[in-house]
Amino acid sequence: METTIALTIALIIVATLAGFVYRFFHGRGHSVSGAQCINLEKLNISKNGDPVTAFGREATVVLFSTEYCGQCPAVIRALSKLEHRKGGLLFIEVDITQRIDLAAHFNINQTPTVFVLNPAGEIRFRVSGVPKPNAIETELTKLGVK
Amino acid sequence: MTINTHVDPRGPRFGAAITSILSLIAFFLSLTNQSLAYATVVALGVLFTWSLVSPSTHPFGWSFRKFIRPKLAAPKELEDPRPLKFAQQVGLAFALLGIVGGIFSASLISVSAAFIFIAAFLNAFFGLCLGCQLYLLIRRVGIIR
Repeated sequence: METTIALTIALIIVATLAGFVYRFFHGRGHSVSGAQCINLEKLNISKNGDPVTAFGREATVVLFSTEYCGQCPAVIRALSKLEHRKGGLLFIEVDITQRIDLAAHFNINQTPTVFVLNPAGEIRFRVSGVPKPNAIETELTKLGVK
Repeated sequence: MTINTHVDPRGPRFGAAITSILSLIAFFLSLTNQSLAYATVVALGVLFTWSLVSPSTHPFGWSFRKFIRPKLAAPKELEDPRPLKFAQQVGLAFALLGIVGGIFSASLISVSAAFIFIAAFLNAFFGLCLGCQLYLLIRRVGIIR
């Protein structure tokens, strides 16, 4: 009986620890070295009806979403606001629902996934999941976005 | 093109909380009273199947709408049901592991209950839907469309 109770409590502890580990790492993001470049022609997306042909002057934030992504709309709103507040920042959204090949190409395992690109279009930072508050802004500051 | 009725995300989380309690009971029983544990895992399997066949009549959803939903503010965001449905299928797969495997080995009932508990617990208390996280990955591999 005692072992049974001990095992049951152990199971609860394991699940709780897993939850805290998830909470700690989820949305932190990490710097990317190796500088994979985004090709806007291949990405072939439009913003407000016009095709996107140039990166942001200081930085570009790319968000990958899907139709069924529940947490994406809130992140999109936050990033759109950020774009209006900062000069030289371009925010683009890529819906990969019908373009699952892009997920494989950029190794995207979940949506939202957010990339921060430098002016040359190189991926400098990536966040899987909902970015933690200020994670994107801190990265943009490093790139000189005011 | 299928029409998806979006759902209040707190409904499935409420369901997950009940599932986590049921599966924890199943895990505890699997170490003491195996036939009762088996019955609980079968009940979980039935509940998972129910949510796939007719989510609108599911008792968890019904009690959420009847007792919990009126006490809450309007949801900030509605959720697409596709990943949620997939998560229920993953849950059903683990319940089936216990139901079928339990015939041959009692330890599989414990394994099945433990997995369902961890997944449901993380969903209810940390907002992490393991099945939903797997959804894109599995679509990428091409197992489902």
